[in-house]
Amino acid sequence: MKRLTLPAALCAALFIFGTLTRAAENGFPIYFESTKLLLKSETVNRTTYLPLQEIIDFLRLPYTDAVNLETFTVRNGNTRLVLTRNSGLISINDQIVLLRSPILRENNRWLVPIDFLTLGLTKLTGTTFRYRPGTMRIFAGNVSPPELVMTAQSLGAITRLTLRVGSPARVSINRDDPKRASILIDRSPLDPLRETVDHSDRLVQSIAYDDSDGESRIVAELTDDVADVRVTPAEGNEVFFVDFTRKAATTTPDPTPEPPPAPKPDVPPSTSPTSRLRVVVLDPGHGGLDTGTKSATLMEKDLTLAIARKLRGALQSRLGVTVLLTRDSDVLMDNEARSAVANNNQANLFISLHIGYSANKMDSGSSVFAMKEDFGGPVSATSSKDRMFLPWYLGYRSSAQASSRIAQLLQDELTKAIPGWKFPLRKAPLGVLTSTSMPSIVIEIGNLNNSVNAQTLEDAGFQTRLAATIVNAVQRFAQ
Amino acid sequence: MPRHIKIGLVVLAVGFAVSLGFFVDIIGRIRSMVNETETTENPFTPPVTPLYSPTDPPMNVKIFFPTIDGDPLLRAEDQTIFKSAELVNRAKQILQKLQEGSSSQSLGPAFPKDAKVEELFISQKGILFIDFTNTISTNHPGGILNEQATIYSVVNSLTYNLPEIQEVKILVGGTEKETLAGHILLLLPLQMDLSITNVPSPEARGVAQQ
Repeated sequence: MKRLTLPAALCAALFIFGTLTRAAENGFPIYFESTKLLLKSETVNRTTYLPLQEIIDFLRLPYTDAVNLETFTVRNGNTRLVLTRNSGLISINDQIVLLRSPILRENNRWLVPIDFLTLGLTKLTGTTFRYRPGTMRIFAGNVSPPELVMTAQSLGAITRLTLRVGSPARVSINRDDPKRASILIDRSPLDPLRETVDHSDRLVQSIAYDDSDGESRIVAELTDDVADVRVTPAEGNEVFFVDFTRKAATTTPDPTPEPPPAPKPDVPPSTSPTSRLRVVVLDPGHGGLDTGTKSATLMEKDLTLAIARKLRGALQSRLGVTVLLTRDSDVLMDNEARSAVANNNQANLFISLHIGYSANKMDSGSSVFAMKEDFGGPVSATSSKDRMFLPWYLGYRSSAQASSRIAQLLQDELTKAIPGWKFPLRKAPLGVLTSTSMPSIVIEIGNLNNSVNAQTLEDAGFQTRLAATIVNAVQRFAQ
Repeated sequence: MPRHIKIGLVVLAVGFAVSLGFFVDIIGRIRSMVNETETTENPFTPPVTPLYSPTDPPMNVKIFFPTIDGDPLLRAEDQTIFKSAELVNRAKQILQKLQEGSSSQSLGPAFPKDAKVEELFISQKGILFIDFTNTISTNHPGGILNEQATIYSVVNSLTYNLPEIQEVKILVGGTEKETLAGHILLLLPLQMDLSITNVPSPEARGVAQQ
């Protein structure tokens, strides 16, 4: 019997302490139309409690704290609200309202659960107190805060947090702690759709919204791999891309082993990295649900990835540059995310790979594309060197001349290496090139509607030759 | 053969026949559901208003179609529409011509056959908004050149012939789309680009208005 006494006592103690658990105090703002009240909430028995007296003082309501009767009476005109210690029943003009949790009085402080505000104070004051379970804030009266939507995704060497604020705002980053980034939003209050983002990867451990001090911020707990955090505004400062970039030493986006590059006797291998090129970003077009153009058996997304992988190996071995792929698997990506990989990694060159399609089955339609010069407005308007800030869609203008040069070199090399296929230089307002701020081009190779072309494009030998040819042009560009 | 076995066999045979009957009936119902087609005539469809009146004078226009050989990317074909009072109706006539296609063997279709214009309106700044059905995107065969040809056959045909239209903004399925088939950016309105056509210079513009 004695053997059982000790564990039973322990269990009882645990039960008692468990039921009376108190969590640390947390900031809890109540937002009014033109002001806000910052409170310290306490969690007792898994219920959030707020200090009553501070709320009543803030609202400037007369009250009577009857210590002996253990009641607290608040008045507003002819309306009277009475609450009693350790009771969930409150009386509003003698009408009884039942709260889910009892009112507490501890250390001469009255503590009220949140439904006291939503059920009791709303009736007493005529001001609606709105609370969404699971959050740590209350909106009072006609406050209608903009909605905040947070989503995160891994994009190779970066992790991107996308913030959609329901109205224009400004966002800044605070990194006092290298393992934490505070993303400050100058709009308050905000109504986050979710308090946390369900995402963790090699760069980001957790992302959570925090307005405990009345200021809107998102706190991201980071790993040691994060080198930099940058913010890019979009859509009239209503959308923000917060990019967490990986340290340069570990920027290879995918750990899959590189296929051995084919030896190229025609070009002597370079033993040191070229001075002008450090990082090259390759973009295999399409991916995931976006298959690109198709033949009976082939899909553009697969061919571009195969060629990009071969080109990565050739560039790394011959030029010794860091090569990043915007995607190294069959995933769907939008153009903005692709150019972000190049911009955020300070790439010196961006090459997007695509396969063509022509209604003419005999055509070997290939092209080298650069961005259309006057896209987004007259070039003269932004040609001044004094102009430091460009809208996102004019990013291409910072390297327009260099883009034309690499396009010219590629045309030259491709025409020599692949006889019978023309590679005219063309200009178009391409989504993937519009916001890249380094020399950037798109190569469209072959015609998948031409069965001979399709066979050639699938051939690993052709892909290797194509990769070597592109490296030749890149090498000439870097010299 | 014992009597109880005979009875059992008879019961089994009857059961099999009944099951077969049900199976055939279900197959027939499924087939009829699959083959069921809705009538295209909708009594609630508002009456179609004509795009021009019999008194409207004819107007020569250049319609830009994609070339089969891709050189140049677009070639202009002379066609005639009617100079209706409403600018939007003139634009609709031009888009109709594009949809009908060219009779020339060397010119291909501008966009997928089943792609249709849902709505069309012009802003005060001279931006024409065209809302195409989703099929212009989902049924597009892809390829950068092909996509460029589709978009600029629309943009050039409208801006070349109707000087009031400065820019064209293409919407798909009622919403803004980043691209049509993954390449050409549609987030900003597009201007006329004659460098990809056989029409030498914009000076010829306006002649078509005579």
